[in-house]
Amino acid sequence: MSDKHLSSQFDADLNSLSSRLLEMGGLVESQISTAMRAFTQMDIDTCNIVIENEKLVNDLEIQIDLACTELIARRQPTARDLRLVMAVSKAITNLERAGDEAERVAKRTKRLIESGAPHNINVAEIRLSGQMAINLLRRSLDAFARLDTTAAAEVVAEDRQIDEEFRGFVRKLITYMSEDPHIISVGLDMLTIAKAIERIGDHSKNIAEFVIYVAKGADVRHIPHEDLVREANKP
Amino acid sequence: MNNTSNLNPAIYAKRKRVNKIGLTLSMGAMVLGMVFLFWILGVLFFKGFSALDLSLFTASTPAPGSEGGGLANAIVGSLLLVGTCTLISTPVGVLAGLYLSEYGDRSRVASVTRFVTDIMLSAPSIVIGLFVYAFVVAQVRHFSGWAGTIALALIAIPVVVRTTENMLRLVPGSLREAAYALGTPKWKVAFMVTLRAAQSGVITGVLLALARVSGETAPLLFTALNNQFFSTNMNAPMANLPVVIFQFAMSPYDNWVNLAWGGALLITFAVLGLNILARVVFREKVQA
Amino acid sequence: MMSNMKTMFDLNKIDSQGGGVETNQQTEHASINALEVRNLNFYYGSFQGLKDINLDIEQGKVTAFIGPSGCGKSTLLRTLNRMYDLYPGQRAEGEINFYGQNILTPSQDLNLLRSRIGMVFQKPTPFPMSIYENIAFGVRLYEKLSRSEMDERVEWALNKAALWNEAKDKLSQSGLSLSGGQQQRLCIARGVAVKPSVILLDEPTSALDPISTGKIEELINELKHEYTIAIVTHNMQQAARVSDYTAYMYLGSLIEYGKTDEIFIKPQRKETEDYITGRFG
Repeated sequence: MSDKHLSSQFDADLNSLSSRLLEMGGLVESQISTAMRAFTQMDIDTCNIVIENEKLVNDLEIQIDLACTELIARRQPTARDLRLVMAVSKAITNLERAGDEAERVAKRTKRLIESGAPHNINVAEIRLSGQMAINLLRRSLDAFARLDTTAAAEVVAEDRQIDEEFRGFVRKLITYMSEDPHIISVGLDMLTIAKAIERIGDHSKNIAEFVIYVAKGADVRHIPHEDLVREANKP
Repeated sequence: MNNTSNLNPAIYAKRKRVNKIGLTLSMGAMVLGMVFLFWILGVLFFKGFSALDLSLFTASTPAPGSEGGGLANAIVGSLLLVGTCTLISTPVGVLAGLYLSEYGDRSRVASVTRFVTDIMLSAPSIVIGLFVYAFVVAQVRHFSGWAGTIALALIAIPVVVRTTENMLRLVPGSLREAAYALGTPKWKVAFMVTLRAAQSGVITGVLLALARVSGETAPLLFTALNNQFFSTNMNAPMANLPVVIFQFAMSPYDNWVNLAWGGALLITFAVLGLNILARVVFREKVQA
Repeated sequence: MMSNMKTMFDLNKIDSQGGGVETNQQTEHASINALEVRNLNFYYGSFQGLKDINLDIEQGKVTAFIGPSGCGKSTLLRTLNRMYDLYPGQRAEGEINFYGQNILTPSQDLNLLRSRIGMVFQKPTPFPMSIYENIAFGVRLYEKLSRSEMDERVEWALNKAALWNEAKDKLSQSGLSLSGGQQQRLCIARGVAVKPSVILLDEPTSALDPISTGKIEELINELKHEYTIAIVTHNMQQAARVSDYTAYMYLGSLIEYGKTDEIFIKPQRKETEDYITGRFG
């Protein structure tokens, strides 16, 4: 028995679903990259690029969701095919929200630039966690493409680091803002940006959890990490 | 996509020709058969019609030389002979056919029975008549209606057995399985389901056997012989149409010859009627 | 559904819903098997049609047998009521315990067995009798009922088969006067009328149109509360729709057996997954 369906059209449809997911993932990845670049360079044109392209991400979500629905209607998929379709349908939601977060970063950055207020807040954590978020998203999509559950489990683990970075930055921000109330409005924008990045990490984690669901059939959301790793490493 | 086909006109023309030739030949064969059929029926009707009047059914066969007369005793005698034959051969034949189909698929007894039945089917009826003569008539030293009945039954039973078995075999196995699946014992499946499903076919078989024996002459020559007078005594020689026809047809008396044609017409119509009835019965049940 | 099982068989134990593993154990403890197949081997002459089958059929549930042609699912079904006994040269070895009693022993009364384990076939086969007689026939084999009791039983059976409304005005008409879907429901009514414990269905809707099929699937859903049902089907979606447990068979062996939901979302064996997702080399 081979891996191909009797219906080659069915194979083509499933493959198309996966590759469109990865295409959307790539687009969202570049959105985050561009938004981080806009923040680092404080460049308003770069912000506008991100804001404009957000529409493309939304369109892709709608198209791919439609493709999922059509596949279910036509093929009544079962077992791993069913799990794949369910996972794709959910993963694109996560990607679309990650795209929203990238747009949020760009919009807040734009506001920071336009307000022009000076500040002495050290944004190293934001830049660092931004890099980590992009890396995590890329790895989660990679794990999805290869259905590699070990890599997926690692992604889930490393999301914690982004969470740590975020919490550290919040503590620092509180110190800054309590010392100098003038920079509170800038600080709040920074907080929003940092939170957006933290959320992007969460979305990558979700996508990684779906990888385990498709490959092993186990729903690993909301369970302790040791159990997740165990499910991921089952043969 | 185009509308032209890959038709080779030469091949097509040849096919049409062959078709036409075949059709013509078949029609010709049919016409040939029909011609003779209608010829026979026509002659029978023509010659026998003049004998068809009330006296045919009320008067007995006339003595040599006397005028008029009818076929009443022969008609009644034939009815008695064929009737009693049916009463015997139907249950025997149907039960035997049932056995062969439902119980005896592999047994030796069954294959021997089938073999014997096949032989009897094609046995010359005169041989059967002689047999009954030797074992019945010669023993009691007189001809009788019963001997005639026995001879006719020996001819009819194989026909009934054969058609019953064939009709029962036509009943799909799934129907039997459905009955077994309810916990029905074998004999009930055979009688109340399978036989019932095949009943129109079995009845047809009986009717066809009847039609066959109505016209048998040779066996009756040695067994029932004939009777000039009206009688319903089965222990004595019994008048019957076939033998009467045999006697009267070649006689020098005009009224005898006339009556012979009348009898022939009657038998033919009876057989025709039975065949049509058989068809009607079969078609009705099949459509139910 | 699980609480139904508990009230039917285990009134003394009032269980709370535990976690995943505990609930399974409690269900196993409370469930009864109508049929237990042990080490069943089946032969058509010298050809082995079933290889060492071990399987439980739970009471009050629908168990489906699926698999490609020639996998032995119909063969297995027909051993459960010893239908193969009609054909010399077919034999079964092993055990099939019907509520603890092995039905493969030579001393088993086959007719009695078949009145307890009924079967409906792929092709609708009404007897050549009236609708009333079709149903009364089986009942009369084992019960003596008065005319009014029989009338009641016929009405009850036809109601169970969702055929009463369509048939009540033509009970004396031949069973063959019904449409295909109605005939099949008549066969189901006939099987139900004798009140068996188990009903075996051998591809019951293969010969029917989608609407008749749907009606019969609905029927199976209602019947399963009072009967144990085993169904052979080559339509996987049907198995997914109607059954509680599914058994996947291939070339005479039982490859996988489990709860239908699990088989169709996360089968354990690759062969099973390949079959139900439509992947064949």
